[in-house]
Amino acid sequence: QVPASLPAGPKVSVVAVTQPLPTQPQYTRVDIPVLREEVAQRSGGRIEVQLSTHAERNLSGTELVRLVRSGQADIGASTLSTLSGDVPILDMVDLAGLAPEIGAAKRIAEAMLPVVNRDLERFGARLMVIYPFPAQVVFCRTPFASLADLRGRKVRTFGNSLVDLVTALGAQPVSIGFPEVYSALERGVVDCAITGSGSGVAARWPEVTTHISNLPVAWALAGYMVNIAWWNRLDPQVRAFMEGALREISNRQWELGAAATRDGIDCAIGKADACRIHSLAARPMTEVPATEADRTALREILEKTVLPGFVRRCGARCGEVYNQTIAPIAGIRFGG
Amino acid sequence: MRGLRRGVARLAAGMAYVAGWNYLACALFITFDILGRSFLGISSSATVEVTGYMLAGGIAWALAHTLAQRAHIRVDVWVNRLPLRLRAVLHLLSLLLLGAFAAFCAWAAWSLVDESILFDAHDNSALRVPLVLPQGIWAFGIFAFCAMIVVLALDGALALLNGRPEELDRLLGSRTIDDEAAEALEAVEMARKP
Amino acid sequence: MIAVALMLVLLGVAVFAAATGGQAVPVVEILALTGAFLVFFGAGVYVAAVLGLLGVLIGLAFSDRPWWAFAGQTLWGPSSNFVLVAVPLFLLMGEILLRAGLSDRLYRALNVWLNRLPGGLLHTNIVSCAVFSAISGSSVATAATMGSVALPYFNNSAYSQRMVLGSLAAGGALGNLIPPGITFIIYGLITETSVGALYIAALLPSILVTGLFILVITVHGLRHPLPKPAPLPLAQKLRALVDLVPTLLLMLLVLGSIYAGYATPTEAAALGVVGAAVFAAIEGKLSLRLLNASAEATARNTALLGLIIFGAYLLNYLLTTINVPQALAGFIGGLPLPPWAIMAAILALYLALGTFMEGFSMIITTVPVIFPVVQALGYDPIWFGVIVTMLVEIAQISPPDGTVMYVLQGMRPRPGPITDVFAGVMPFLGAYLLAVVLMMIWPDIALWLPRVMG
Ligand code: NA
Ligand code: NA
Repeated sequence: QVPASLPAGPKVSVVAVTQPLPTQPQYTRVDIPVLREEVAQRSGGRIEVQLSTHAERNLSGTELVRLVRSGQADIGASTLSTLSGDVPILDMVDLAGLAPEIGAAKRIAEAMLPVVNRDLERFGARLMVIYPFPAQVVFCRTPFASLADLRGRKVRTFGNSLVDLVTALGAQPVSIGFPEVYSALERGVVDCAITGSGSGVAARWPEVTTHISNLPVAWALAGYMVNIAWWNRLDPQVRAFMEGALREISNRQWELGAAATRDGIDCAIGKADACRIHSLAARPMTEVPATEADRTALREILEKTVLPGFVRRCGARCGEVYNQTIAPIAGIRFGG
Repeated sequence: MRGLRRGVARLAAGMAYVAGWNYLACALFITFDILGRSFLGISSSATVEVTGYMLAGGIAWALAHTLAQRAHIRVDVWVNRLPLRLRAVLHLLSLLLLGAFAAFCAWAAWSLVDESILFDAHDNSALRVPLVLPQGIWAFGIFAFCAMIVVLALDGALALLNGRPEELDRLLGSRTIDDEAAEALEAVEMARKP
Repeated sequence: MIAVALMLVLLGVAVFAAATGGQAVPVVEILALTGAFLVFFGAGVYVAAVLGLLGVLIGLAFSDRPWWAFAGQTLWGPSSNFVLVAVPLFLLMGEILLRAGLSDRLYRALNVWLNRLPGGLLHTNIVSCAVFSAISGSSVATAATMGSVALPYFNNSAYSQRMVLGSLAAGGALGNLIPPGITFIIYGLITETSVGALYIAALLPSILVTGLFILVITVHGLRHPLPKPAPLPLAQKLRALVDLVPTLLLMLLVLGSIYAGYATPTEAAALGVVGAAVFAAIEGKLSLRLLNASAEATARNTALLGLIIFGAYLLNYLLTTINVPQALAGFIGGLPLPPWAIMAAILALYLALGTFMEGFSMIITTVPVIFPVVQALGYDPIWFGVIVTMLVEIAQISPPDGTVMYVLQGMRPRPGPITDVFAGVMPFLGAYLLAVVLMMIWPDIALWLPRVMG
């Protein structure tokens, strides 16, 4: 939790750039109440966090490591797969099909935190918290009953491991910027798209799609980083206070991730009484329940396609790290 | 000096043609991607990234030529009403300020390339393009822009020192009257020719 | 000048914000910077350098961060943004059409129908720009293409030079409003609004604005009558319509590919280029020389905009770092006023910014912070997108800084001061503002069509 108080001292002004959009619940329900409000209140006004989102700072999200490293922001948050261009090992935490439920995703995230930091710290940034967005699920504009039905469809995908997954399913991955996906689905430029259940609902995809799968293909794990030089320079009491605040954020984001995943689907399928975080879809969608065959297929694709593809991009060392850290949790080894 | 200026300007023009044809290539690339996706079921999966790089390169590589053509935008309502000598001095001053800005951009671009080398950064597309490539091409264009500014500034300063402000005015004054009209008319003429 | 007056108003708002909001706004510094800005512009310094160096000065004066360490990324981001690829593509399409003579044929065909109205050829300026806008998504491309076609027709004519330039600038300022349009693409990008819905919503407003422009010209024509050309037989007039066919087919290709589900709005611009080249080939005009000249002109005009984007983004980055847009938006959103009054304040802010800012940099700087306020006030995102696009178009033709006006000034066959363009565009600017007010009163002008079609 955020500590109840902080001894008086010189004022500390912190710049934090966190979620992609100011409307996301990760921002309005966690960052604003904790980082902006509670921190100021409980530190007696000593710590003031100047908080903004990627959109307000005109950032795409890929450049967050560089933003934090250069000291433009003291704290920065972004999804790990968008950062993996700069730091490839980050992709490992959230490979497609790795964690079928949120508990596994959390265990993997916790195990990987010290490991990815060995790479990140060379660049002057340290990952403090890994947290999830709502589960990444498939939205389609025509009916489907299982992942196998995606064969031959055009699926909007982002990030390398999802591209590998979609290709392995026999579907055609299409690269379209997120804002253009709505009209692409509306007009049939693509047949399906993958995104967080809640994010899709927030972008009003239920208006242009009919079926939503409840199978998490990935988690869009994201992380809060700090600039190491800044962090080490902080007054130890302030640092301990901020550590507490970040722990609080971690707890709340994981709770939100679990709640928002189901909430996103409930809002999409028009279950009014269960739809609390996102807004209710005007035209209810049909939920496609995950089958045992889907789960088996996902595991198989992870082992045969996604993992080898990742190691090819990241290097042999990443394969070893995977086998040491993640394989015991996920139950699938790289290279058999 | 004049010879050097012309040489650099020719080089810059060459780079601008490359930039322009690159946009044509970009249109073809996207068209093929649309056709492939709609009728053949194939797609490059990297259109967004690659065409973005083409834009960046296109902008940077045409900067110098655009300056040589005096087409970069200035607000010159007052300047063009001033006496020739004063106007010439202001032209040079504007160019030097542009030089300061361009030098900053070039330094920033180089730092970015340097950082991408440090990270060994790749994009997130299916092609995993090493960012050093497009960013390096982009930075090169900005450096060429700086070179053009230096050469123009030297030539202009010489003209001013030698008491030929009208030459400097011709070199740096904005292209308002003759050349723009000539170009527009040439374009229309090309259209009218059978 | 309007710019100075509006900047003073803006400054007044900033002072008021400082007095009431408690957040310290550095008034003296802002005043000094505004002064430096005006001196720079007056001395004819390059617009991009003014914006960029202003950013550097702000960084040195107000930021305690090593902001320069992130400057490379700040410039690279917009340079390599896929959505902006539509800009050179729309420009290239315009250049090819211009050199293939298609825009000239369009102009002549419309002229046959319009030249006997009071105001004569000036109507053709507006209508041909409007038709061209329906295939091009760029105001600059529209003004450049139709301007170079139209201006020779006014050589040694009795038409008021100011009205000629003004009508062409105004026509150019339809380029983004009439679908397709780059501004909608950028707005959709930032706010995650459907670009297709924005295009549909923009239809009635663009008809409204075009109608108001025609009204302006008719009034001018009635007050300054000119001899009318002889009437043409109907058969000849009907035959002239054939010249409109290529343009209509291109319109079908660009907009049709979006609505039929083949291409995204950005990609449709690429189809437009290929389509234009095909029509040039049918005309027998497609040659290496034509493509070479089009490529060079596109490269030059894109670089010109690109350099301004460099400066604007650098300035934008530093303004955002020191929280200026956020503070302003927070202040506006927190005013104890009814929503319509806050919306009016937002529009006033855009008008003020528009006098000296480029449309692109204006949208990119303000929409991310204003948009949540607008949503909280209960306004429709689609409606606001159309309004913002209209305000960007107004910015393009509001002196002293507007690309469309510079482009036309650059193409004048007869020399004259840029103030001619400024003066000529004023009545059209008034008409555009009136359209914005009407949209405020009756939001359904934009929202009715999407509702009926959705
Ligand atoms: Na248009
Ligand atoms: Na303006």
